[in-house]
This record gives sequence, structure tokens and C-alpha cells, in this order.
Amino acid sequence: MSNISLFKTLLLLFIADYFESLIAPILINAYINLPITFLIFSYIIYKSRSNSGPIFAFSIGLYVDIISDSPIGLNAILFCLMSYLVNSYSNTFRLFSYFQVCLFFSASSLFFIGFKNLFINIDNFSYLELFISFVFNSVFFVLLAIPKFNFLKSGSRR
Amino acid sequence: MSRVAPTSGSKTLSFIFIALSALLLYLDITYKSFEGIKNSYKSFAISSSYVLKTISIDPLLNIYNLLTDKSKLIKENKKLKLELDESYLSNFIISSDSKFFADDNLIKTFLKKNQITNIFYLAKTKSFDTQLYFCCNQHRLFIEILNKPNNNFVGNSVINSSGIIGQIIYDKGLQEVLLLSDTTHVLPVESGEYFCNARGSGLPGKISCTYSSLIWPVEIIQGQSFYSSGLGGIYPRGILIGHVSQINRIDEVLIEFEIDLISSPLQENIFGVLDRS
Repeated sequence: MSNISLFKTLLLLFIADYFESLIAPILINAYINLPITFLIFSYIIYKSRSNSGPIFAFSIGLYVDIISDSPIGLNAILFCLMSYLVNSYSNTFRLFSYFQVCLFFSASSLFFIGFKNLFINIDNFSYLELFISFVFNSVFFVLLAIPKFNFLKSGSRR
Repeated sequence: MSRVAPTSGSKTLSFIFIALSALLLYLDITYKSFEGIKNSYKSFAISSSYVLKTISIDPLLNIYNLLTDKSKLIKENKKLKLELDESYLSNFIISSDSKFFADDNLIKTFLKKNQITNIFYLAKTKSFDTQLYFCCNQHRLFIEILNKPNNNFVGNSVINSSGIIGQIIYDKGLQEVLLLSDTTHVLPVESGEYFCNARGSGLPGKISCTYSSLIWPVEIIQGQSFYSSGLGGIYPRGILIGHVSQINRIDEVLIEFEIDLISSPLQENIFGVLDRS
């Protein structure tokens, strides 16, 4: 997958945030938190042919902070961390199986949910939500990866 | 093609931006430094969606209506609209602009029932983030006061037809309402001779109180009603807030109980903003 333009990234994240705001109130009843915006950003970074700089991650994080009404800096810090992590291990991912990559993204989303809840939902911090979200996200990513064989393979084997 | 591993320069840059993000986060959480930017964005988003709907969906709906309705119905519709316009014009002074179409009878009935004589201003929901309401601590509602005078409404209480919703904390363009269930909100409540400061629980429609059984030996029972005490001067006294739903014993002396709020911001989109004078 080639690098997508900044405008497309912003539009994609805007739509993802809107979609997330629609489904999150429904999923939360089952203690499931699916951070679609964060996952799409991670996927863009992961599939990018070149390393994206921290300025890009920081700017996109601030943009998501504003459109999602999160505390300013929360998504920026997590996007910077994710960008750094993916860039550092971009070559290592080639050795991973699809299942391992799915687990990596699930673990990342778990960290994202936990870190975010520390700031915006500390009074009702729920380990149950974290656990169920992790299981749900893992299964969801594996299901996404199974039918589209090239979904993860094309990038990691290139 | 392989990707180049981050160099020491890009690592340093990453660290700087992570530190900068952390600083922004600290400033926002501690000092609310970016509330203006967030509210400006919300106002822009609401205005944009309204304009887009007006120029895109509404004309299409009109065309669809024109194509599907029978000519007789169109004529009747026009006639009714004309009559409505005439009625609107003749009642213009009473109607006082857009307030005419908003039904304030429910609010009036509520105020009368609770013997509240304060003047109130009608307001409508402009934006409500249900995602945050259901998942997180921050429970905020954005309203627009119809026919708003030049007063600053910060600190005024907001009600609907069933009870207290919260208080206005920001008044520039739109009014931001801090809901009772927000964890930063504290509401003084009473039940008989018992007083307590009920804090928002961060869960939709729930607030909680903690008390020591040494100080207050009388037992709180499930279903017990709690009313606003009027302490603090924000909310009027004697309004039913809710009923005790759950009682948890934290330790030997400390007891926490939850109150299920009787009013919900999701119930209706018309509110009353009470004048404090």
C-alpha cells in the first residue's frame, strides 16, 4: 500500500471518528471499546512505505483530539508513541505471522484504551472493559485478516 | 523495500513531541487552557452541519415531496402554511421570534409544581456527545438559549420537565452545561434532616454520596428520595433529585450510596435556564 495523502488521512480519520461516535455508545453496553480512529491511524503508519515523522503523528493526534473532544494532547501523545513503535519495529514485523501482528494491534488498542481511560474515565476505570475489549479486538482483527489474505501479508512481506 | 530504522535524530524528535503532548495534556486537564478552541470547533461543526443540511438535504426533500404529493395536498399544504404565516405574524409580539414554536408548557408546569417563581429562558439542545456520556467521566451538554439577553449565564441552573439537569459553565456562543452525573459536579442534596454533597459518578443518570455512620447513625434505605438542598445558591431548594438505588459499605464506618437521577438530558431537547435573580 502506498502512502496516502494528508487530506485523505484527515478525511478518513474524520469519518472514522464519526463512525466511532455512533457505535461506541452501543458497544460500551457490552464493555467493548473499539478505538477505530487510533487503529486506522496505526494501520496507515504500518502500511506506509516510508517512516512518518513524529510531527505528522503529533499533528494528526491534535486533530483527532479536537474532533473527538478529548483532552488536547491525549491522542497526540499516543499517536506519537504508536508512530515511534511501528517505525522502530517496521522491519521486525516482516518476521511476524498475521496472528502475531493482530495481537500486536490488539495489545496497542488495549494500551490506548487503558491510557485514555486513566485520563477521561478514572472514576469508573474498568478492568473488565479492558479485558473484554482486548479479546473482542483480537478476534475482530483475526477475522479481518483471514478473508483478505493480502490484508496484512502484502505490507509485511514486501 | 525495507524501511529505515529511526535514527537518533528522529528518536530525539519523537521524545520532544511526546513531551510536548504531555505538556499540552497537563495544561488542558489542569487549567482547561484549550476550552476556547474546542468550543469554537463545536460551534463551527454545528453551524456547518446546519448549513450543509439546508443546502443539500432540504432541497432534495422538497423535490421529493413535490414529486410524491398529490396536487390537492400541495394546495392544502400551501393554504395551511399561509394561514400559519398569518397567525405567526399576528402573534409576532407575543411569540417573540423563535420561542413561539418551542413548547414551554412542560417547564412551566414543572416550575409551578415545585413552587419556583424564577424567570426562565427556553433553550434547545445543540450538541450532546452521547459517546462521552455513556463511556466517560465528562458529561456535558451544549444548548442554545432562545432569545438570549445579554446576560452572562454562567452558574445558572438548567432544568427540563422532570428535574434538574445541571448548570451552565461556559457561555460564549453556545452554552455548555455541566451535567449532574459529571464527576466534577457536586450537588448538595437532602433527605429529611440528612445532608450530603452528591458527586457525579461518571455513570449516566447516577450521582453518589458518602457518609460516616458515626456522624449520621440513621440508616439510608433503598428507594429513599433525595431533594436539592439549595446550599451553594445555584439550584433551587426542594426539587426531587432521585431515589437511592444502591448502598455500598466501604468499610466499618464509611457508607456510599448511589442515587438514580429522576431527570435525564436524553429525555427531551427543550430546557429551561433559570434566572438567578
